[in-house]
Amino acid sequence: MNDMTLTERAVQASDIKIEARGVQVHYGASHALRDVDVDILGKTVTAFIGPSGCGKSTFLRCLNRMNDTIDICRVGGKILLDGEDIYDRKVDPVQLRAKVGMVFQKPNPFPKSIFDNVAYGPKIHGLTRSRSELEGIVEDSLRKAALWNEVKDRLDAPGTGLSGGQQQRLCIARAIATSPEVLLMDEPCSALDPIATAQVEELIDELRANFSVVIVTHSMQQAARVSQRTAFFHLGSLVEYGETGQIFTNPSDPRTESYITGRIG
Amino acid sequence: MTAQAAPTHRSLYRLDTRTKRRNAAEKRFRLYGLAAVGFGVLALVVLLSSVLAQGVGAFRQTFVVMDVMLDEGVLDKSGTRDPEVMKKVTTIGYGKLLQTSLNAELAEKGFAVEGMSAKDVGALISKEAPAQLRDRVLADPDLVGQTIRFKAYANGRIDGYFKGRVSLQSAELDSNVTPEQLRLADTLRAAGIMELSFNPGFIFGPDASELRPEAAGLGVAILGSAYMMLIVLALALPLGVATSIYLEEFAPRNKWTDLIEVNIANLAAVPSIVFGILGLAVFINFAGLPQSSPLVGGLVLTLMTLPTIIIATRAALKAVPPSIKDAALGIGASKMQTVFHHVLPLAMPGILTGTIIGLAQALGETAPLLLIGMVAFVREYPAAPPEGFGDPAAALPVQVYNFTQRADPAFIERASGAIIVLMVFLLAMNLLAIILRRRFERRW
Repeated sequence: MNDMTLTERAVQASDIKIEARGVQVHYGASHALRDVDVDILGKTVTAFIGPSGCGKSTFLRCLNRMNDTIDICRVGGKILLDGEDIYDRKVDPVQLRAKVGMVFQKPNPFPKSIFDNVAYGPKIHGLTRSRSELEGIVEDSLRKAALWNEVKDRLDAPGTGLSGGQQQRLCIARAIATSPEVLLMDEPCSALDPIATAQVEELIDELRANFSVVIVTHSMQQAARVSQRTAFFHLGSLVEYGETGQIFTNPSDPRTESYITGRIG
Repeated sequence: MTAQAAPTHRSLYRLDTRTKRRNAAEKRFRLYGLAAVGFGVLALVVLLSSVLAQGVGAFRQTFVVMDVMLDEGVLDKSGTRDPEVMKKVTTIGYGKLLQTSLNAELAEKGFAVEGMSAKDVGALISKEAPAQLRDRVLADPDLVGQTIRFKAYANGRIDGYFKGRVSLQSAELDSNVTPEQLRLADTLRAAGIMELSFNPGFIFGPDASELRPEAAGLGVAILGSAYMMLIVLALALPLGVATSIYLEEFAPRNKWTDLIEVNIANLAAVPSIVFGILGLAVFINFAGLPQSSPLVGGLVLTLMTLPTIIIATRAALKAVPPSIKDAALGIGASKMQTVFHHVLPLAMPGILTGTIIGLAQALGETAPLLLIGMVAFVREYPAAPPEGFGDPAAALPVQVYNFTQRADPAFIERASGAIIVLMVFLLAMNLLAIILRRRFERRW
């Protein structure tokens, strides 16, 4: 099946943002992810699907080195962002994470005001020189996250006081405030109700215009709705990767077919 | 595999025996809990009420209020008003002055003192009073030649008589006081020359000798304890918080950090007197720091408090949700920014609570201070910090211990009074902890 995904990729290798080759992840003695080769394209939504524990979140967290925070985690192989190895000794994960933003499964706004939540990233990265510039970035990010109209009158209210869907959009606004090039989303809608989910999905589609978005999801419908490309993970390896339409209508691997038709998972 | 028996119909209105048993067990358990809480509250009430009942008296003292003619012929024969020259007049001279003043006051009001010498009358006044009068005159030599209103401590036995410690019967057997003196005291009180009133000297004054319980105060001990708390706060809080942050957020997990962790937990359980021996050996004998000083006391208490603060701080840091750390790291905050911008502020209420609990524990600690010489009898106030940190001082809990060691029953009341002062400080610290916690929590 690997041959299949490789040919698939060769077709679209025009605008590769992230190039992963032979990625291995070990948690202590367990081999969580083996030999993953994926190319993430620029200005595209890429969905990772697969049953629980298949390694899709682990792989996502490799892309901005969030796995570094786990002591027993070891990452092997190569991950290139714009041709630069992000696991190179010279790379500071802090700089990397400014370029590769992340939105987590559970909305996790800082227990600060809405304004401070969004302004925090630009502040620590020194992206602004004046207060008005900062305010501009905050407004811009909140607009992009489709939250501006709901919160513009209460930017000083605590971010934790918003509803779940609003909190998640606030987290998205916070992530895009540092103008990352890639946005990683780890099941961003799993804690949201259908209406908030629809809002976030719509937002993801709009974000595609500026960012390369990678989304991990348990919902195949969601993957089908928002993504252009889909990767299916199973038991720690990448089974199939290709155009979303092709994966869902004409999967080449029998395991992919079993999963999307609900026979394994 | 066997077929399940068909369910038999049972009324919901009737409790089966199993349910009854379970309900009874639950009820019993609730009663045990209530009994335990009740017992605890009762013990606390008994303790507090006995301390309060015995100690409140220490805040009120019997005074003799009279006019004293500061006779130049006695106090300043040279007439220069030079304090250096006037120092030649000892407390004996001032004592005589007080004695004649009181006798004159009695004669003027026409009270009969038959059967009592002038000296017997003068003995109603505390032996501490001449020294106080002398201090006052030396501080302001211009008073000489004037008649001033002077409020002198009454003798401890007289004070005890008004507080019910001494009776006419017990005075018969007491070589320190006679029934006649007590009767005279009654007359004086009725005439307003003697009065029982609030005694600031108990809180602000220095300790006094075993024979003058009426003059014993807590001023030096309060100051000593305050100095020690300052040292503990200044050393233990930054050290403890820095240690906790490093161990919790930065240190690799390996044998060494495990060893350090085990040792911190063990240090928290080390008996406090061991810290006293350590302080004696290291700070006094080896480093040569001054004995009985708040500096050494503070250092010893810092060692004792550190584990408490570290354990509380680490628990508070651990309680910060990892999602907040992830969020900060996810947008590219460095580890230190994550800790100082997000983790530490969220952990602050817990850290403050732990610190204040540690300080309260240190404030009440007695045993290690005994070993480093803070049990000494200190009458001089330590100087203002930072020099004062090296001066001899007492400490509140040690002062309580000292009072209980003295023979005069008047010290029972003063020991309890000192405990009340100690408890007021502890309550104030706890209140401060609550206020600070509220303040920090409201920020979010």
